[in-house]
Amino acid sequence: MQNIISLLKQYYYVFLQGLWGTLWISGVVVFFGTILGLVIAIMRMSRFKPLKVFTDVYIEILRGTPVLLQLYFFWIALPKFLPIELSDTACIVVALIVNASAYIAEIIRAGIGAVDIGQWEAAKSIGLSNAHTMTHVILPQAVKNILPALCNEFISTIKGTSLASVFFVGELTTSYKTIQTATFLSLEPLIISGAIYFVLNFVLSRMLKLLERRLMVSD
Amino acid sequence: MTDEILRTENLHKSFGKLEVLKGISTSIRKGEVVSIIGPSGGGKSTFLRCLNLLEIPTAGSVYFKGQDITDKKLKIAEYRRQIGMVFQTFNVFPNMTVLENITLAPTLEKKVPKAEAQEEAMSLLRRVGLEEKASEYPRKLSGGQKQRLAIVRALAMHPEVMLFDEPTSALDPEMVKEVLDVIGELTRSGMTILIVTHEMGFAREVSDRVLFISDGVITEEGRPEQIFTSPRHPSTNKFLSMVL
Repeated sequence: MQNIISLLKQYYYVFLQGLWGTLWISGVVVFFGTILGLVIAIMRMSRFKPLKVFTDVYIEILRGTPVLLQLYFFWIALPKFLPIELSDTACIVVALIVNASAYIAEIIRAGIGAVDIGQWEAAKSIGLSNAHTMTHVILPQAVKNILPALCNEFISTIKGTSLASVFFVGELTTSYKTIQTATFLSLEPLIISGAIYFVLNFVLSRMLKLLERRLMVSD
Repeated sequence: MTDEILRTENLHKSFGKLEVLKGISTSIRKGEVVSIIGPSGGGKSTFLRCLNLLEIPTAGSVYFKGQDITDKKLKIAEYRRQIGMVFQTFNVFPNMTVLENITLAPTLEKKVPKAEAQEEAMSLLRRVGLEEKASEYPRKLSGGQKQRLAIVRALAMHPEVMLFDEPTSALDPEMVKEVLDVIGELTRSGMTILIVTHEMGFAREVSDRVLFISDGVITEEGRPEQIFTSPRHPSTNKFLSMVL
């Protein structure tokens, strides 16, 4: 316990830096992962066969291989095939976005599928365009269905960012490694990092619970 | 015929191997009230749904004011704005208030200013006795109120034709009348109306013409008094003797 307190006193800024890294990487991954996931979900529901096949393959591959392997893949492949210079951080963030998008796409697709078919028909019958049907009628109802599952996915995304430490990308688990190397203390920095992750996810899940309750107003 | 508004020619619809519509040809005049009756599974609803392309006909054509709406180049959403539809299961939007349900399509698709759309929505709600529910969410409405909402939601787009697909079949008996009253009033306003219904008394009272659809074809059609009192076709006779 004493070790933990003295560690915090001495290295709090390293943890803070790590926390900041975890926060922004998670934020970016959740944000772009959700947008990409939505696009993939909508493509997957398309009547145009090739699009559906492409997204099926995309999702199956990303779900069927380990995240760490995917990170290595992007870390090696992106700099090789892209003409622009990419930092390790950028490669890892892209990989995490792509990985998250596959899971989020499946969640969104299921949520959209759970909206009663009558809602589509009613929206069409009053002459709403496909885009407006989606944005005003279907998605608002789907969001309610998928919020719990999406919340789980966001939390596992945040935890997943810890894998970036393998590439020494600045985030919380990398902070742990840094401090461990500097102090030869293992358990104490691990406990501190763990506590920070826990609080972060706990707060997030409470916030989403609140949002969920507010959205339930219309049910 | 100059006052024709809808016409179908040899309309076919199959779902996989199941042929539901086997060639329906009919013409609807502007302002006409047409009831569609017949046994379940006979194709009544499918026929109605082909008219606003919720089902795409497998073969045959639908003409709206002389224009073939099965033409691939037609903008379906624009066409549908001229055809209102009311469903058996109401399908009001649960994520919006009563008022928003009505103003949604006019403001989004016709660019009606919000205040104007709300004003009109309120007057529609008054017409069906729901003005006090304007800011409620649909979950607080009874079935009959939801269906009246669904009707004015369709009317807010100023459709030229209204399609009713068994509008009272999902209602508790005590609520059937309030919905039929609204539809009845509409039939007297000069609106062109097609209604699939099992309410034979109502069909007889409001219709100009009754179509009896069974086995995917119009087996018999005529004035309500003729159909209900002296049906010519044996299957019409059999059906009516079971339901009346």
